[in-house]
Amino acid sequence: MSGFFKSIRWRLQLWHGVLLVLVLAGYGWTSYRAAMRHRMASIDRELQRHSAVLIKTLPPWFPRNSPSNEPSSEESMELRIRPSAPLLRLFEESDSYFLLVAFLSEKSYRSPGCPEDLPIPEPFKKAAHFRFETRGEFREFAQPGGRGYRVLVGRNIGDDLAEMRRFAWILCGAGGGVLLVGLTGGWWLATRAIRPVRTIGETAKRIADGKLEERIDLADTDSELGELAGVLNETFDGLHDSLARQVRFTADASHELRTPVSVVLAQTQTALKRERSGDESRDTIEACQRASERMRHLVESLLTLAQLDSGEEEVVRETVEVERTARETVELMQPLAVEKGVKLVTALESSVRCEGDPERLAQVVTNLLSNAILHTAPGGEVRVSVTREEAAAVLVVEDTGEGIAEADLEQIFDRFYRADRSRGSANGGSGLGLAITKAIVESHGGSIEVASVPGEGTTFTVRLIATPDPVQPR
Amino acid sequence: MRVLVVEDEPDLLAAVAKAMREAGYAVDTAEDGEEGIYKAETWDYDAILLDVMLPGLDGWEVLERLREKKGTPVLMLTARDAVGDRVRGLDTGADDYLTKPFDLDELLARVRVLIRRGAGKAAARIEIGEGVVIDQAARTASRDDESIDLTAREYSLVEYLAMHRGEVVSRTTLYEHLFDENDDSLSNLLDVHVSNVRKKIGKDFILTRRGLGYMIE
Repeated sequence: MSGFFKSIRWRLQLWHGVLLVLVLAGYGWTSYRAAMRHRMASIDRELQRHSAVLIKTLPPWFPRNSPSNEPSSEESMELRIRPSAPLLRLFEESDSYFLLVAFLSEKSYRSPGCPEDLPIPEPFKKAAHFRFETRGEFREFAQPGGRGYRVLVGRNIGDDLAEMRRFAWILCGAGGGVLLVGLTGGWWLATRAIRPVRTIGETAKRIADGKLEERIDLADTDSELGELAGVLNETFDGLHDSLARQVRFTADASHELRTPVSVVLAQTQTALKRERSGDESRDTIEACQRASERMRHLVESLLTLAQLDSGEEEVVRETVEVERTARETVELMQPLAVEKGVKLVTALESSVRCEGDPERLAQVVTNLLSNAILHTAPGGEVRVSVTREEAAAVLVVEDTGEGIAEADLEQIFDRFYRADRSRGSANGGSGLGLAITKAIVESHGGSIEVASVPGEGTTFTVRLIATPDPVQPR
Repeated sequence: MRVLVVEDEPDLLAAVAKAMREAGYAVDTAEDGEEGIYKAETWDYDAILLDVMLPGLDGWEVLERLREKKGTPVLMLTARDAVGDRVRGLDTGADDYLTKPFDLDELLARVRVLIRRGAGKAAARIEIGEGVVIDQAARTASRDDESIDLTAREYSLVEYLAMHRGEVVSRTTLYEHLFDENDDSLSNLLDVHVSNVRKKIGKDFILTRRGLGYMIE
């Protein structure tokens, strides 16, 4: 049963049905009651009128100078009644109307149509009182007629009641018909409304099963469901791209690892083919060590990128003196620069601060500096400057090195991209340095740009959000 | 047999060259495409091991240029495994393709196959009259199932002549195929090897054609 209730369509149908039944029942009941009341009211009015006229036109029962207060016999009663109004004839001749006149002495006049069990009305306390009563199929109106006698006018309403019953049945029938039409129409509408939802569900399932290129195709793109489909399609596009990027990244990463692994494999397999001297073994081991260093470097770079990508890295936010970070890094790089015959020049403004992770920012400077040094021929120069430009802390690293070709400039921040295809394999670079640098800069809300003239030099510009100077108390 | 190995990763180049020399090949090396194509065009190698990713001129370009002039058997080494690359390699004219990291023994075996095929012979065993059998897979020579003790150079000499049996092979050619750039060129070294082989296998095993060269019938 619970499965039954899970379907939206059935639930809609159920509520729709309940609502319809309630509304129809209420409407039908109200109609019936109103009709009944209306009819009764008109019957009552009629009875009342007749009664009023009768009382006016009937002779008083007590002649002024009669000793007793009533007619002596029934005959004389009839005689007295007869000569009066033509209205009496109605009661005399009618099947449905009847009349009862009751006297103080318990004698009474009954018209021919009176029901046998019609009781004599009770006396009234006041002249203005009256009574309506329904007994079974008879509607009766009783009124005091003056001087203690009572007039009761009644009518057989059996036909009326039958008619009302028929009306009630018609109402039920019509209501049932409306209910059926309503339920059917509702079912049809619900099915139509649900169909796009089913389309969405089926397409989503196919996508989940692996057909990643499929998208939801709904004809009506403006409705609420159409918008939903649009949003979902965009989400799928994003996920698809993200997945493709991941796949590419994994492929590139494993590709990078192949070279150092093949070195270790070839070196060890060769060495083990026969007895080796201490020196030969040492050479082999040193080659393996070099390869392992490369692999370690690669693994660390990949981990860094993964952390930055996922945003899982614990966000360190301190106030960093950019000038100090740059200066410390320059000092660290000094030996390398000397080795390469490259001169390091600095122009560092103090009091330039930004919020960030000092280690990561140091990584940025280190990476840019080492690239610059390694790509500059002996005798060249690398210039590091830190300045403040309005709201930005600006770090510039420029070199007089070999420069970067325009075609490479666009892709230089891409992962695993190396301007010279195989340079990295000998130099230990993996093509990830700039990608990591860019990721760090962007995670700090900054930007990095590169400009270069092949043969003359390259300039990297990093812009970070500067921390405003603390307000000086006056 | 003389082979050329073109590979930019120095530690890998050293390991492969050493393994091949110890297997009896004369090995020349090159660390980039320019050097590689120069050597490949200058000498006739029995096989070339060519890395795809080289600085400057890449492996594809080296192969294309080589194929304009020579049909030297080429085995390509690469870190890329995409099917597209394999197809490209074979279509451009490579004879075989190995992805890194590779098993050294597999490399050596494939080189052996390349050389056999390059000489037009597919069989791994060459039988020469009087029950002498050259087993190229094992790199041994034997007579009547008794193995003959040859040095690596001696075996290479015998193998080369056997693969070109019936042909006269000039001394120059033999020099080119048995010695690499690292060997001092002592012109009578070849005669010493020939004489040693005759002592071990038989006087008439290698025939001399005065002024022309040597041959095995």
